[in-house]
Amino acid sequence: MALNVLRRTSKFGRLLGFTSPAVKNNMRILSVGQPALSKKEVEVTFIKANGDEIKAKGKVGDSLLDVVVNNNLDLDGFGACEGTLTCSTCHLILSPENYNSLPNKPSEEELDMLDLAYDLCDTSRLGCQIILEDNLDGLKVKVPATVNDARS
Amino acid sequence: MKLLKIQKRFLNSSCNVKNVISEASEFCEPYENIPGPKPLPLLGNSWRFLPLIGNFQIQHIDKVSINLYKKYGKIVKMQGLLGRPDMIFLFDPDEIEKVFRKEDSMPLRPSMPSLNYYKHVLRKEFFGEQGGIIAVHGINWQKFRSKVNQIMLQPKSARLYSKVISQTAEEFVQRIKQLRNQDLEMPDGFLNEIHRWSLESLARIALDIRMGCLDANPPQDTQKLIDSINTFFINVPILELKIPFWRLFNTPTFVEYINALDCIKEICLKYIKQSMDNLDWQVEENQLSVMQKVLKRHKNVKLASILALDLFLVGVDTTSNAIASILYQLAINPEKQQILHQEIDKLLPNPNSELTLENLDQMSYLKACIKETMRLYPVVIGNGRETSIDSIIGGYHVPKGVQIIFQHYVISNQDVYFKKSNQFIPERWLLNQKNHHPFASLPFGFGKRMCLGKRFAELEIQTLLAKIIRNYKIEYHRDKLDYFIHPMYTPNGPLNLKFVNKM
Repeated sequence: MALNVLRRTSKFGRLLGFTSPAVKNNMRILSVGQPALSKKEVEVTFIKANGDEIKAKGKVGDSLLDVVVNNNLDLDGFGACEGTLTCSTCHLILSPENYNSLPNKPSEEELDMLDLAYDLCDTSRLGCQIILEDNLDGLKVKVPATVNDARS
Repeated sequence: MKLLKIQKRFLNSSCNVKNVISEASEFCEPYENIPGPKPLPLLGNSWRFLPLIGNFQIQHIDKVSINLYKKYGKIVKMQGLLGRPDMIFLFDPDEIEKVFRKEDSMPLRPSMPSLNYYKHVLRKEFFGEQGGIIAVHGINWQKFRSKVNQIMLQPKSARLYSKVISQTAEEFVQRIKQLRNQDLEMPDGFLNEIHRWSLESLARIALDIRMGCLDANPPQDTQKLIDSINTFFINVPILELKIPFWRLFNTPTFVEYINALDCIKEICLKYIKQSMDNLDWQVEENQLSVMQKVLKRHKNVKLASILALDLFLVGVDTTSNAIASILYQLAINPEKQQILHQEIDKLLPNPNSELTLENLDQMSYLKACIKETMRLYPVVIGNGRETSIDSIIGGYHVPKGVQIIFQHYVISNQDVYFKKSNQFIPERWLLNQKNHHPFASLPFGFGKRMCLGKRFAELEIQTLLAKIIRNYKIEYHRDKLDYFIHPMYTPNGPLNLKFVNKM
């Protein structure tokens, strides 16, 4: 009944054509970085807990979560909350040099989530909050073990 | 090469499954052995919530939970609650952490079969497939949440609303002046006044509408909305923990519950429509209300309305009871309140200083006071997940489809996890003094299904608190209040706080 009220208002009548959009059955999360068309690319290496290295390219302005998502990297459960700072699944460990060279220090929201990260250490950051810049070309980050890895 | 990788991954995962299964049979106790109150034939454990013969009271689930923990230990099975799956109560932050970490892409949050029934059976023609976020699971929840996640939870997008939040808080600070009696105390209905602030604040954020709740004579339907939200929450546990006769016929509680939900839906839709009519498509996105943003991005009237409805359903009482509880704690802990006054007065030197986001960022003691209240008395005392696969929890095999209830309130009030846990010590939350188990106090939950309104709730609470503390000293001179579940965990009794003007 209530929607009928909305349906009758002419202003939104034309909108109703959109009321059931074809939602893509796509479970991959969306990139949350700024659109970067012709920006410079930098290379990042993710070192998994078992020692495997994965190299990937990302554009300046992308977050490390974007790099993982856009390259479809095989990191199980990474970035579960779509970069909204409600989980710590994109937890990464940086070298002290890289950690200190990052221009943006962790916000309070990030620190709160880092508290809840598995295998936390002094140079931990969340991948969704690290934005690529020119000088980060060749960046190497460690992907810590998860509880699930530890069990098997 | 790639094929090899896939094959390797497949092998690994199948090994994992085998491991888990063998682990399950060899190293863990069977499900039947989880301790807990024994259900009776036919009546199960539901009888324990019956008046007179049962010893479980819904208003005192807090105490029921403590007793279960004392009697049975860190993991307790509550089976035989008629009409709902078995529940496992977890009183162990390590185990809670494991459940959260193993969470898959669509965590199932056990909540409100009665609301589920309302959305998906009774009012199916309105809600359709898109049930919203509360009491919705699986792919439908995932799709919905994904559409609103960035708008609601991205800290910077929530901060866009600091101005309207601040204005509403200012109105409430003024309203306190009008509410005081000659002893400067608040009337018995002070909690309802806080509800009115919370509703007004939410309406500004969600719809960019001034409802007028803080006027001397607020529109009648706003009070009706507040009452209905209250009725809704009070009836949820009655319907879901007592014997669920509502599944068979329309019990008075169920009729009251449905009427309350219908009322919330009708009143909200009136304001939602008003907000849609106000939407100027040319305006930049960062000036729009939450619902208008959703509407502009997704061009979907229903999606936007259902989101707004859910926000009103769960975003009013929760925030207001948190404020009530924090104000009460500050009043009964004057020495801590004094430290807070010092922090606020330093950052806002005169009463008319504008409160900026930069100020708020520096108010670490204020945030610590909020966190400490939520540790002692979390507004929602527990949380949970339903198992989507067979798992091992607390050394026991737990089959798929069981509701795991995290007993946050009981855990965060134990000395093992927080020293002197019965005392109000905000200092324990300051950066350099934090040393507790990170999963021992989680008032907003964690992970993909964390509270969607967290950023707004925090900003609203911080802003109002900062303004109140800038203007008043809070005192309390009546009998000490116990806490009870009504329907949030809140001080039981009239909140006759005294607000003394600061010099």
